[in-house]
Amino acid sequence: MSNQTIEEKSPTDLLAIEIAGIRFPNPIWTASGTCGYGLDMAELIDLDRLGAICTKGLSARPLRGNPPWRIVETHGGMLNAIGLQNIGARAFINEKLPLLRRYQARVIPNVFGYTIDEYIEAIRILEDGEGIAGYELNISCPNVKAGGESFANDPRQAAEVTAAVRRVSTRPVIVKLSPNVTSIAASALAVEAAGADALSLINTAIGMAVDVNTRRPRLANVTGGLSGPAIKPIAVRCVFQAARAVRIPIIGIGGIATIIDALEFIIAGASAVQVGTANFYDPTASMKIIDGLADYCRQHGLRSIGELVGTIRLDQ
Amino acid sequence: MIDLVGTVELNEITAAESGRRYGHLRLRVDHLPEVQPGQFAMLKACGAIEPLLRRAMAYYKVAATTDATRIEFIYQIIGRGTEALARLTPRDKVECLGPLGVAFDLGVAANREVVLVAGGAGSPALYLLAAALVEREIPTRLFLGGASRGDLCGLSDFRDLLGSNRVVTATMDGSEGWPGFVTAPLEDHLATTSGTPLIYACGPDPMLHRVARIAAERKVPAQLSLEAPMACGFGICVGCAVPVRADCQEGFVYQKVCTDGPVFWSHDLAW
Ligand SMILES: Cc1cc2nc3c(=O)[nH]c(=O)nc-3n(C[C@H](O)[C@H](O)[C@H](O)COP(=O)(O)OP(=O)(O)OC[C@H]3O[C@@H](n4cnc5c(N)ncnc54)[C@H](O)[C@@H]3O)c2cc1C
Ligand SMILES: Cc1cc2nc3c(=O)[nH]c(=O)nc-3n(C[C@H](O)[C@H](O)[C@H](O)COP(=O)(O)O)c2cc1C
Ligand code: FES
Repeated sequence: MSNQTIEEKSPTDLLAIEIAGIRFPNPIWTASGTCGYGLDMAELIDLDRLGAICTKGLSARPLRGNPPWRIVETHGGMLNAIGLQNIGARAFINEKLPLLRRYQARVIPNVFGYTIDEYIEAIRILEDGEGIAGYELNISCPNVKAGGESFANDPRQAAEVTAAVRRVSTRPVIVKLSPNVTSIAASALAVEAAGADALSLINTAIGMAVDVNTRRPRLANVTGGLSGPAIKPIAVRCVFQAARAVRIPIIGIGGIATIIDALEFIIAGASAVQVGTANFYDPTASMKIIDGLADYCRQHGLRSIGELVGTIRLDQ
Repeated sequence: MIDLVGTVELNEITAAESGRRYGHLRLRVDHLPEVQPGQFAMLKACGAIEPLLRRAMAYYKVAATTDATRIEFIYQIIGRGTEALARLTPRDKVECLGPLGVAFDLGVAANREVVLVAGGAGSPALYLLAAALVEREIPTRLFLGGASRGDLCGLSDFRDLLGSNRVVTATMDGSEGWPGFVTAPLEDHLATTSGTPLIYACGPDPMLHRVARIAAERKVPAQLSLEAPMACGFGICVGCAVPVRADCQEGFVYQKVCTDGPVFWSHDLAW
């Protein structure tokens, strides 16, 4: 196809993608816990232009969350220990979803539990909701101690929760992986084998900060999840390694704030990306990235952004 | 709420006798939705990546003309974010998200004496409120405290607005007004005044706790403007939690200082 035809293509033609049988208007999504339930962003960005919204993590029942301080800024990023405060899956489908599904952005509830049964319970509630594209399973939240390690820490447990949710869900299941593991490829392979339709990575990296005057941890929860530009190289590496290990699509997350960031992930193997912490300090970052991606496609003669996925060159 | 780019017109740094430093920042923006007293903005130099997060600042003054709006902030320089604000020079561009948050409830002030209580860098949050009260001809008195004379932010503006005899000061070093905490002259006043006044307060946490206790003891209603660490300022990070009384087993839930506040009724807080 000639360059001229590409010039004529609309951003939707260039940027539309399909993941797990679902069509997304573009590969730029907002990350769980960094855009509320989506609606809170509507005053600042055009939700009709976003690929998808991953909601704040939802559980079967509402959760109160951790005591303050819950956040602390570090260099190039921040630590958070929100403690998964949320309104619960039922309130989400009754109060938020009817408003959210009026927009073009696909709605992807992020789901978690402290036991496999709790995951299933939350999914069963959400199955009642209309206008949900798929689920993202948070198996890797480093903030909540559920009487032991997180599911993500052990590929077998990660596979178990994936399979259990896969059995009750009529919708695609995206499993969100943690970087706090020895082998991201092993985690990716385990959940792929258990039936995951796609992977998203990474969740936050566990970190800690100390107040040297009081000698106390700066977060009430002691440790917290590190996010923002500081974790981007770790995230790109994880996407690269996971993409080489599995055949299912990968959604890249971690420190994405600019068009260059998004492109790095796509070239490393991500079919879509999520903007997280950047929403806090640059609420229109996702919109700027969408504009930039269409321009990049035109400049590089790409008929579709899909042509760029995983095209990293390793030859000398 | 709108994300604007403001142009620095003035950024004046002063040092108080206590050693603390303050900046007085004036920005020019093209257009700004109406600001209610007690609301705030999230500020940072355009495109800056250190620090990453914007910083919450109460609107001190807002003046709209047909072609532009000028907004002013007074900030205490305490860390990375406010040090970065202090480096701004005229013509620099500033990202300015606002107006944010729930304002002071002015409806309840009618037919009452109003008592404003401010400590340190909390006073800027009360200036628009004081101006609105004066406009409504509600008798208003300010109790303004700080470490030293130079820490009484906005003192001359408040005196001009309310009249010198209606501004009571207190400093820890005794360089201006009552020596010690501002809550001492406040208690003294509440003990002698007739009727039930209404308190609006903003300042450091220990001061607000003391004001809350005094208000409870004297059964005086009080609205407090709180601070909390904020990543976003508009409700999406849930980082700015404050415990608020609720009808549930634990007796409280966490609310967001940025969107449920920053102004709360003192008796609703479960600190
Ligand atoms: C609604 C609101 C209105 C405010 N208005 C004013 C004002 O008019 N004038 C003024 O001087 N200050 C005001 N503050 C406080 C001001 O936001 C903090 O002093 C500032 O964020 C400190 O940033 P820093 O990087 O200099 O300090 P650091 O200590 O280096 O900050 C580190 C982190 O902690 C947070 N933080 C630290 N101290 C505070 C604090 N006391 N309150 C909130 N966050 C904190 C910062 O946001 C930052 O993320 C206000 C705060 C809020 C929440
Ligand atoms: C304040 C905050 C809250 C978050 N909450 C969740 C959550 O509820 N569920 C989840 O799967 N990830 C959550 N995350 C992780 C993000 O979705 C994302 O994976 C991570 O922050 C890395 O991306 P970033 O660097 O772009 O922020 C949260 C992150 C932050 C900063
Ligand atoms: S500061 Fe982000 S929710 Fe309040």
